[in-house]
Amino acid sequence: MARLLLLLTLLLIAAGIAEAGTVVSNRADRVSVTVYRQPGRVKGAMDRLWPGGYALITETRTVDLPAGESTLRFEGVAEGLMPETAALSGMPRGVREKNRDARLLSPAGLVDVYLKRRVTLQRTNRKTGKVSREDAIISAGPAGGVIVQTQAGYEALGCSGLPERMLFPAVPAGLSARPTLSVIASADRPTRATLQLTYLAEGFDWSADYVADMQADGKTLDLMAWLTVANGGVTAFPDARLSVIAGQPGKLAKAPQPRPGGGALRLSCWPLDITSTHPGWALFPMQTRRRAMEEMDGLQEVVVTAHRRSAPMLMAAAPPPPPPPPPSPPPEDVGDLKLYRAPVAVDISANGQKQVVLLRQPAAAVERLYVGRVEDGDGSSRPMTLRLRLQNSKSDGLGLPLPSGKVAVFEQVNGGRMLTGEAEVADKAEGERVDYDIAQSADVRLTTRVSSGDRNTRRWSLGVSNARPFDVVAEVTIAQDIQPRPPALERRGDSWIWRVTIPANDSRTLDYMERLPR
Amino acid sequence: MRHARLLPLVAALLPAAALAQDSNDPTGGTAQGDIAVTIYNNGQSLVQDDRSLSLSAGRNRIEFPDVSARIRPETVNLSGPGLSIVEQNFDYDLLSPDKLMDKAVGQELTLVRTNPATGAETRERAKVLAANGGIVLQIGSRIEVLRDDGLPVRVVFDRVPPNLRARPTLSVTVEAARGGTVPARLSYLTPNLGWTADYVALFDAATGAMDMQGWVTLTNNTGTSFTNAKTLLVAGDPANGEGRRNWWSASSGAIDSAGTESSGRERLGDYYLYPLPQRTTIANAQQKQVSFLDVKGAAARSTYEYVNGWLGSSTEPMSASSVLKFSTSKQGGLGDQLPAGTIRVYMRDARGDPQFVGENRIDHTPLGSSMALRTGEAFDVKVRTTIDQRWETRMRYTISNARAEAVTVDLAQQGLWGDTRVPAQSLEGRRVSADRMEWSVPVPANGSVDLTVTFDSRY
Repeated sequence: MARLLLLLTLLLIAAGIAEAGTVVSNRADRVSVTVYRQPGRVKGAMDRLWPGGYALITETRTVDLPAGESTLRFEGVAEGLMPETAALSGMPRGVREKNRDARLLSPAGLVDVYLKRRVTLQRTNRKTGKVSREDAIISAGPAGGVIVQTQAGYEALGCSGLPERMLFPAVPAGLSARPTLSVIASADRPTRATLQLTYLAEGFDWSADYVADMQADGKTLDLMAWLTVANGGVTAFPDARLSVIAGQPGKLAKAPQPRPGGGALRLSCWPLDITSTHPGWALFPMQTRRRAMEEMDGLQEVVVTAHRRSAPMLMAAAPPPPPPPPPSPPPEDVGDLKLYRAPVAVDISANGQKQVVLLRQPAAAVERLYVGRVEDGDGSSRPMTLRLRLQNSKSDGLGLPLPSGKVAVFEQVNGGRMLTGEAEVADKAEGERVDYDIAQSADVRLTTRVSSGDRNTRRWSLGVSNARPFDVVAEVTIAQDIQPRPPALERRGDSWIWRVTIPANDSRTLDYMERLPR
Repeated sequence: MRHARLLPLVAALLPAAALAQDSNDPTGGTAQGDIAVTIYNNGQSLVQDDRSLSLSAGRNRIEFPDVSARIRPETVNLSGPGLSIVEQNFDYDLLSPDKLMDKAVGQELTLVRTNPATGAETRERAKVLAANGGIVLQIGSRIEVLRDDGLPVRVVFDRVPPNLRARPTLSVTVEAARGGTVPARLSYLTPNLGWTADYVALFDAATGAMDMQGWVTLTNNTGTSFTNAKTLLVAGDPANGEGRRNWWSASSGAIDSAGTESSGRERLGDYYLYPLPQRTTIANAQQKQVSFLDVKGAAARSTYEYVNGWLGSSTEPMSASSVLKFSTSKQGGLGDQLPAGTIRVYMRDARGDPQFVGENRIDHTPLGSSMALRTGEAFDVKVRTTIDQRWETRMRYTISNARAEAVTVDLAQQGLWGDTRVPAQSLEGRRVSADRMEWSVPVPANGSVDLTVTFDSRY
């Protein structure tokens, strides 16, 4: 029996050690942030106000672990943290479990925890200032109002018109200021451990913003790209190693996360109509402009910390821009994706946008052509689209991976820099063709006409007219089945491409027979 | 023998010791007894709660606080020696100020008025006549409306109506054979407590190896914490009365060939069981992760895949999918069956830091399966499809590779139905089904390859 008692005592001590306590890690020593684009956005710029991408954040933290089992809480992590992605390395004996708690310290959360428990009810006399306190037990809440039980009986809180409040004896252990990630870890003896915490977090995005200046010869572009990174969260990452990933890694929709229950605490009462008020249901509620005001507030909260991009307008005789800083090193391959690093450590501020130079190619060969499509045969003439075509190869002054984003094309006109147009571009690997569709041309037009036809065939006649004082190249896409097979036309996808050079102030035509599907 | 009988006593004392630790926290206690939770994949859980009830002989009404707020009352079962259930109620009419006043119509209550000039309090009794929009009271012989003058009035109720609850409450009326303390087991099903698996795979392309960690992710949205619970996870989706699952219920397509091996893991019918090694507290609004798999150096390789629909074509090159291939076999694989979940794949960059390269979902995967996980779209490997000729359809697939090493792309053409013949092809392919044909196309480094195939669809 004595042996058993000893065993019992030992077990109790062990149970005491198991509750060794909580260690809080409140800051990271080093942070590196890798930003991924919004899944599913193949081309185009990001939405700075609503960053839809995510980031892989690696934090190095130092903690002092006591002997035995302890709970380690991580504070100051990005608030878009996806807890199922969190990984921790560097723990001396591994991690038993990881928890993300969303029970929040809030008025409703306090009432919820203290339901059926003892609190102090304090009333202040408005006239004399006398404070009276009494013990109370919360009988109902927080949904639909709070009812407390006192010596006198049951009362609803906040319905008497007197100043009254509840005093809670302590902060409940399970409630935290914001959703918190914690782990249960153990150590043989007190240890100072250097941990690496890695997780994915929402609320980040990036895109490439190309600025293309047409050179005086009209045959080359000075192509420069900004790497624009946005952090839509409230957590800042000072002095971080920043990199971005181009490509489209698979990303599933996020699994639903537990939500903090309760919401706001509303002290609702019984109906409080009196004889001098109108019945509430006889009046329509007043229309307010609150929603619009809130949206305005939302706009004001966003702080743009980076260089403002040139507005799409004529910038007459602007001084030449200072030479941009050296671009980032060329990208490296991570699997089938491209990783770009910012050359120096940067501050990623909360609700901010940051730009660093991504690449600079001063002489990229460009071809100017006009494109159109055969659609209806009513004989009307439609403007063709001006397309700038680059070949992403070394011999044409490029030959490097070009991540997706938006391009703004500028031209020098009479000594002033003028915006020609903007276009969205997708990811382009080395060796691919890059097309910028930037403007509609009123001077180069396509006319498509059906001249005759029967049940099986239609005869088409296409005409391209050029009102410009120099030769232009036109490409017309014909998504039809042409009979007989035209030897001179290129096949692309399921269409024929009619490529033709039109001399200055002249026009060219093409006649062909379309075979109709049976 | 005597020791064996005393051991349960020790076990019973331990949770009590843990409770004593936070006895200074007024919110720490729970009315739950010895809790065991069995959690299924589809967000459904079986809770077994062993409590000691103090009963008197005969009919007893027992209330059970701290059961799941989402309890399915029709699944409740209470068992104990000498207990027989008379009736069982689940009350969810919630106590709130307006309900309290509504139920007080016709009854008396106390008003406490405060004089705004002196602060003096006066008390009087009043009878509630009506609670429609406002409260009409009878005080002695006069009729008035509560707080018609806007002055502060405290309303003190004598009692709370018995059927109004602060929380949805389960109550059971039992017939006890004898009085005293009776051990009883309460068991019920609750939704909003479920789990999935989350995997972290660190893939090294140079050595063709992969480290994989598996984590169970428990999500508790029941509104109730389960303290110090014995936890058992069941990998499988029990039917919930909707009948057989249909062919269109989405499959992740990650299993290339289903495995045929068995492991020593505990089973329940066709489901695998994952007991957690230690008791754990599943707090409300908590997402908890517990490790269940840690494999180092399993063989894996990456390939590319492109699937083209019938008469699919594009003027721009389209990215091929990056595919990670591995096996769950005991020989050269992960050596464990994988419960359904999400695999996140990481690779190391030039500095040795892991970077995320994509994720995808897997279904419940038997041991010995060969897997193909599509992790994303390749930046440098693309396919441009051209229809060279219609009627007897001649397709041209231009596969380009901007990487510095040669790759092999598994190209598939779908939509062949049964009767489409292939009279000519520039590379020998495999007809994997009546509807689908596949080619493995080697593409040199920084180069491109054309594959041309003629399909005769016979009409």
